[in-house]
Amino acid sequence: MSATAATAVRRSATGLALLWLLAPLLPVVLWAVSSRWSGRARLPQELGLDGWTAALEAGLAPALVRSVLLGLAVAAVATPLGAWAGRLLGWRIARRPRLLAVALVLPVLLPPLAVAMGLDVVVLRIGVPGPLAVLAVLTVLALPYTAFTAAAGFARVGPGPEEQARTLGANPRQARWLVTWPALRRSLAVAGLLAFLVGWSDYVVTLLLGGGQLVTLPLLLGASASGTGNEPTTAALAVVAASPGLLLLVVAALVLRAARADATGRSGRMAR
Amino acid sequence: MTGLALERVRHRYPDATVDSVHAVDLEVASGGMLALVGPSGSGKSTLLRVAAGLEQPTAGRVLLGDRDVTALPPERRGLSVVSQRPHLFDHLDVTGNVAFGPRVAGVPRREARTRARRYLDLVHLDELGRRRPGQLSGGQQQRVALARALATGREVLLLDEPFGSLDAALRSAMHELLGELRAAVDPTVLLVTHDLDEAALAERVGVLVDGRLHQVAEPGELYRRPATLTVARLLGGFVEVPGTVVPTTGGPQHRSAWGCWSLPGDAGAAGRSTSGDAVLLVRREDLRLVPDGPRDGHPTGPGVRGRVVASRRRGVRVVAVVETSDRSRVEVELAPREDVAVGTPVGVRPTDGAAVWAVDAPQCDPSSLTRHTRHAAHLPGSGPRACDDALRD
Repeated sequence: MSATAATAVRRSATGLALLWLLAPLLPVVLWAVSSRWSGRARLPQELGLDGWTAALEAGLAPALVRSVLLGLAVAAVATPLGAWAGRLLGWRIARRPRLLAVALVLPVLLPPLAVAMGLDVVVLRIGVPGPLAVLAVLTVLALPYTAFTAAAGFARVGPGPEEQARTLGANPRQARWLVTWPALRRSLAVAGLLAFLVGWSDYVVTLLLGGGQLVTLPLLLGASASGTGNEPTTAALAVVAASPGLLLLVVAALVLRAARADATGRSGRMAR
Repeated sequence: MTGLALERVRHRYPDATVDSVHAVDLEVASGGMLALVGPSGSGKSTLLRVAAGLEQPTAGRVLLGDRDVTALPPERRGLSVVSQRPHLFDHLDVTGNVAFGPRVAGVPRREARTRARRYLDLVHLDELGRRRPGQLSGGQQQRVALARALATGREVLLLDEPFGSLDAALRSAMHELLGELRAAVDPTVLLVTHDLDEAALAERVGVLVDGRLHQVAEPGELYRRPATLTVARLLGGFVEVPGTVVPTTGGPQHRSAWGCWSLPGDAGAAGRSTSGDAVLLVRREDLRLVPDGPRDGHPTGPGVRGRVVASRRRGVRVVAVVETSDRSRVEVELAPREDVAVGTPVGVRPTDGAAVWAVDAPQCDPSSLTRHTRHAAHLPGSGPRACDDALRD
């Protein structure tokens, strides 16, 4: 296959993938900017920002802030823990790596509703504050994503650079901070984003364990979606809720592109 | 004065049932270079990692000069390492990589980079300081790795097959560079390699097989006088003649299917013991083909009769493979422009002044011997026999 044909195929595939991803979102976006879209009309009959106004009145801003904070908190806890577990897995330091891998995956294998309901009872009994319980459980649910993403990064980089740094005079802390973490920055960024998304998008755990103290965007969206006649509001909330996922996709694409450029030596740095 | 010494170093990996390194004693003179050769899995790299502090020995000591550094972590040992993968730090430019050692030692950034540029100049890369490692060729990356190791100012340099992934021309250029660096900086160097030509860059060469150090000698000495059959086989180029050393009034003689070899007193096992089974080693280039016949014009000495079954080109030389009547094979290096047709009956004789060296015959099962050795060892004529100058069948 010629280079031109290969490029055409690659571009078509990318276009199809984007269409697959964005097609379901298109009606939501249209709903979010419409005031009236009734019956079998193919397009909104009236455009407007009523949905956004209603969403703001329903508490979009504080819910957005809480969701961002919850996502950041989950990322802040789950990413270093995942990096630690990833190091054990990626560098085969763990004596029983399979056992560790299974332990990490188990929480996401169980139905979250059942887990959350069971934990709710425990949390209530021992008096753990709701937001703290939510954070703890979401961290456990985010750990498989952060750990396995980090493990792949550790496996790719290997212990060689860190050992090399040690032989050049760096103590273990310097070797980690000056060599290993920078080498893993992309893997850790992706791991952090995944953990953020786990916190950002959670509904069940926040609803049950949060005990109503923690009204996040998914809860607001769920409440709005369960009603009728407020589609523009629900759509506005849905657009905001979907944005971090799309952002992650863009970031992942950029990361992959940068990694490919690094591997082939075809980066912008070449020009300098 | 000793630069680096390993004393009775043993090492065993966790969950392993045998030692990867068995009580190795090794000494590299200050400012000297010792190459460690051996087959894959012989423990060379493990030994180097033990010296570097990246592996802890099960027993034994690592000394830098008079200082016992066995318990010290790598960063406090005063050794730097260059391995086959250069492990350059991708997030730093070339100068930043070379300045890494001085920086972590507390040297201010500007001064560290100035020092780095000096070492980059030494490896002829002073113009590439702003580049990233990904923009360098393999040879350039290894030069940066060398400069980075030297910029630490450490006196001992451990090289773990540093040029193993480079092509022959680049490797040769790196050998020259290593010579230049040694002249300029005078480090103590321990080089691990499986390339015997590369090992010859060192003043001394150690041969490690199955975690045991078989011999440490000057490169020329190693080729002339391998301590064991294992060393000889690793070095290659020897024809093995199994037989027996017997004392005679004229000195020890090696008797075998080839006849009798009068051995000088310093011919290895023959010199150490006056009798017993011994394998005589003759360099392939010290043998020659002679016309087959009852008297081949060669006045005296051992030899075998056979037929040329193949000729193989090895670089610029041609090696003739002669199969003897017992179906063992002897490789003989032909003189330049000499040729011989396959199927020609020939005799094989040592050249005048051929150096021979006897090693103790291995006390092991026949499967460890080469085909030639195995066959010859079971020949009726391989025991003591009368000396004459006839070619043997």
